[in-house]
Amino acid sequence: MMRDVNETFREVIQAIFPLTLAVVLLLLVFVGIGLDDLISFLMATVLTVIGMTFFLTGVKMSMLPIGEAIGADLPKHNSLAFIAVVAFLLSFFVAIAEPNVNVLINMIDSALQGSINNNLLIISIAFGVGLLMAISILRIVFGTPIKYLFAASYSIILLLSFFVPTDYLAIAFDSGSVTTGAMIVPVIMGLGVGMASVLQDRSELDGFGLIGLASIGPILSLMLLGVLSS
Amino acid sequence: MSLESTGILLVSFEVIQSIAPLIVFFTLFQILFLKLPLSQLIRLYTGLAFTAFGMILFLHGVNNGFLPAGTQIGEFFGESKKGFLIPVGFVLGLLATLAEPSVRVLCYQVEESSNGYIRSNLMLYTLSFAVAILAAISMAKIIYRIPFLYIIVPGYLFVLILLWLCDKDFVGIAFDAGGAVTGPMAVSFLMSMAVGVATAYEGADPVADGFGLIAMIALAPIIFVMLLGVYIRFNGGQKNVQ
Repeated sequence: MMRDVNETFREVIQAIFPLTLAVVLLLLVFVGIGLDDLISFLMATVLTVIGMTFFLTGVKMSMLPIGEAIGADLPKHNSLAFIAVVAFLLSFFVAIAEPNVNVLINMIDSALQGSINNNLLIISIAFGVGLLMAISILRIVFGTPIKYLFAASYSIILLLSFFVPTDYLAIAFDSGSVTTGAMIVPVIMGLGVGMASVLQDRSELDGFGLIGLASIGPILSLMLLGVLSS
Repeated sequence: MSLESTGILLVSFEVIQSIAPLIVFFTLFQILFLKLPLSQLIRLYTGLAFTAFGMILFLHGVNNGFLPAGTQIGEFFGESKKGFLIPVGFVLGLLATLAEPSVRVLCYQVEESSNGYIRSNLMLYTLSFAVAILAAISMAKIIYRIPFLYIIVPGYLFVLILLWLCDKDFVGIAFDAGGAVTGPMAVSFLMSMAVGVATAYEGADPVADGFGLIAMIALAPIIFVMLLGVYIRFNGGQKNVQ
């Protein structure tokens, strides 16, 4: 476990250091902040690094194995409905837990000054992820080429974008990309790998594309929310 | 100090609230169906505790560090130095992608899927460059108030066309790649910066103009990996088929 933590810590430092340096330079050279503010920024960044290390280590220890265990269990029940329902619920709850979603919701809340209900947003995002995951897990079972799923959902998105109010449009697309964060990716991968390992006749590559599909869900659900609310 | 401690309490509450349903769901599934051995369960629950604890520190840190810094930097440039925004966006997009661990994983994946035909390092640099360009475009989008529709519709249409030309092994990887560049750092910092710019820049709307950046940078790797897939299909074909 200590080796996991060390390795993760190195990755986190590698990811955060260049950006921190750039931010400090921008803050000092252009914005011209005082020493107090700089120190509090650096302290917060140290917290961020420690937090991310724990978070990512925890995710490696728990989310991937949970996804794999549940994924391998699903086909044993021999029921498509069961598979779809579990895939939906699992990804629904993981999407709610995703910290990226939390950051996005806070940003939307401060920009919109609370004119859209936060819980409604979170639930729509999670619902979208869950629905698309259920569909894509069924795709693995039926062996439908992933190309058709992408073509169909991208066409629907393109059509809908002409009817969605501008306030919702950018937020919908952002929420799609934001949802596929550090938490949901290992669960989805695990789910796909677990399913594919039991349904032996499928090639390993069938697990790919699940994350891309998951990010389509929130785009669609927030677009619908926007159309309905206008 | 008291403000600091209420901040972290609030975040802890939010995190526990958001992760509890997942833990309950897993526990039920474990009791009903999985029945994993105790040793494995201990590891899983320790992992979940780490996840929650880390999330609290991370969100608290970001809320007091990168988020306000991003907003501050965005507001500063949006107000007085608009000309700098496009190059600044470029550099930040480049740094955020080069440093992102999951982008490296993606590059190895592509090297493997192409049987070594596409070198992972070359891909890392070109991909980071692609994201940087899109980050610069999204700054330009705010300054010149280009409607998001004009960017995302051609982008998605292009993806739809590439979908039919691309080598099929690359389709799944390409769409997954969109998720690789939107790591927690890129999301929190770049998004708050864009919203900051749009808030401070006179005539721009914080909601309609400020959001969209994350979706745009996620489009870069999708298009990029698919273009590689098109290239492989028409040029690298013999090497793959043998």
